[in-house]
Amino acid sequence: MSYPVEGFDEARSFDDGVSLLLAGAPALTDGRLFDAVAPRRGETAVVVTTNTSAARVAEELLDRGADGEQIGIIDCTSQESDVDDDGVRVRQLGSPGDLTGISLEFAKLLDDEGDDAQVRVGFASVSTALMYTEQQTLFRFLHVFTARISSGGMFGAFAMDPGMHDDQAYNTIRAVFDAESEVADDGTASIRGTGFEG
Amino acid sequence: MTDSDQPTVLVVEDERALIELYVRWLGDDYDVRTAEGGEEALERFDGDVDVVLLDRLMPGMSGDEVLEAVREQDTDCKVAMVTAVEPDFDVVTMGFDDYLTKPVEQETLLETINRLLSRTEYADLEQELYALVSKRAALEASKPAEELDESEEFADLEARIAEIRAQLDETLSDVQDDEFVAMVRELEGDGGDEREGQE
Repeated sequence: MSYPVEGFDEARSFDDGVSLLLAGAPALTDGRLFDAVAPRRGETAVVVTTNTSAARVAEELLDRGADGEQIGIIDCTSQESDVDDDGVRVRQLGSPGDLTGISLEFAKLLDDEGDDAQVRVGFASVSTALMYTEQQTLFRFLHVFTARISSGGMFGAFAMDPGMHDDQAYNTIRAVFDAESEVADDGTASIRGTGFEG
Repeated sequence: MTDSDQPTVLVVEDERALIELYVRWLGDDYDVRTAEGGEEALERFDGDVDVVLLDRLMPGMSGDEVLEAVREQDTDCKVAMVTAVEPDFDVVTMGFDDYLTKPVEQETLLETINRLLSRTEYADLEQELYALVSKRAALEASKPAEELDESEEFADLEARIAEIRAQLDETLSDVQDDEFVAMVRELEGDGGDEREGQE
C-alpha cells in the first residue's frame, strides 16, 4: 500500500510510514498540505491545525472530495469555528503548545481504526508550534510523532516556513523528516529525500 | 538476590498471592522489591528503582497517591498501573507510563517491563540525537559546504547521527498510541515550564 499524491514534481505516491516536510510560506504550503492529506477512498485524514480554522480545514478537504466521516481535526487555534458537516470530528485544544493534548486527541481520533488503517496526517504548522514550545521539546515531539506515523504505516505532511526561523533552528527541525518539498513562489514543489515513488 | 546489573522492579500489590506470582515471574531477570501497600511502597522506593508495578486500588494509600509521591522525587523511573478495568488513554496524562489490566499474564508483564526499560534508553539516545543534530545545524549555518565536506569531524558527526537514528528507528518500530501519548507527556515534563504560550 502507499499514498498517491498529486502536484509534487517527482513524487506520485509516498510509501507507508513516511513523513514529509513542506517548506515555504503558509500561503504556498497550505494548499499543498491539503492536497497531500485529502483522504482517498477508504482512508482517514487527521489534521492538526495551529493557524487555520477548523471550518476552513474541513472545507478544503471536503472540496477535495473527502466525506465528513473521513476527517478528524485537532484545532489548536483557540478560534470559535463552526464546521458545517456533522460527520467531521473536531477536537479543540487551548494552545499549540499543548503537545500532550495533541497526542492524546490524535490517539483518540484513531482509536476505532484497525492497525492496517490508511491514515494521512497533516500538521500546519510547525512554525506556529515553535512559538509556543522550546525547540528541543518540539524536535523530540516531532520525532516521536513521526515514529508513530511510521509504526502505523500512515503518511504525514508537516508545513514549516523557513523564513520564520534562523538557519540553525530550521536545519535542526527538518532533520526529523524522511522527505522534504520546497514550495516555490510559482507553486512548483520540488522534492528530495526518501520514501516516495516517481 | 541483589544483583546490581539487573534492573530493579518494585511490585506494589495488596494481594499477597499476586505478589508471589509476580515475584516468581520476574525474579530471574530483575531485582524485585515488593510492598503490600502504598506507605510501604514509598519506604521501598528510591533512585535505584527502574520500574514500579502499581496496583491502582489498594486499601489505605491509593495507587494514584503513590504515583504522585514517586513523581515528586523526580527520578526517571517508569510506573505501570495495574487495574481491574481497561482505562482510557487519559490515564497516561495522569503520569502513568503504561497500564496492565487484570488478570495480568506473564508474557504481557514481561513485555511491558521490557518496553518501559527500553523507553528510558530511548530518552537518552533521543537527547543525544537532538544535541548532535543541532550541532550539525550550527556548523551548516556557519561554515561553507565545501569546508564541511572536507572535515573529518563533520563526517564523524554525520556517521554518529545515522547510527543513533538507526537505533531509535529500531526501538520505536512498533510504538503504539498509548505509548506515543505517554512519551509525549514525558518529554513535555522534561521541558519544564517554558511552554507558556502567548495569548
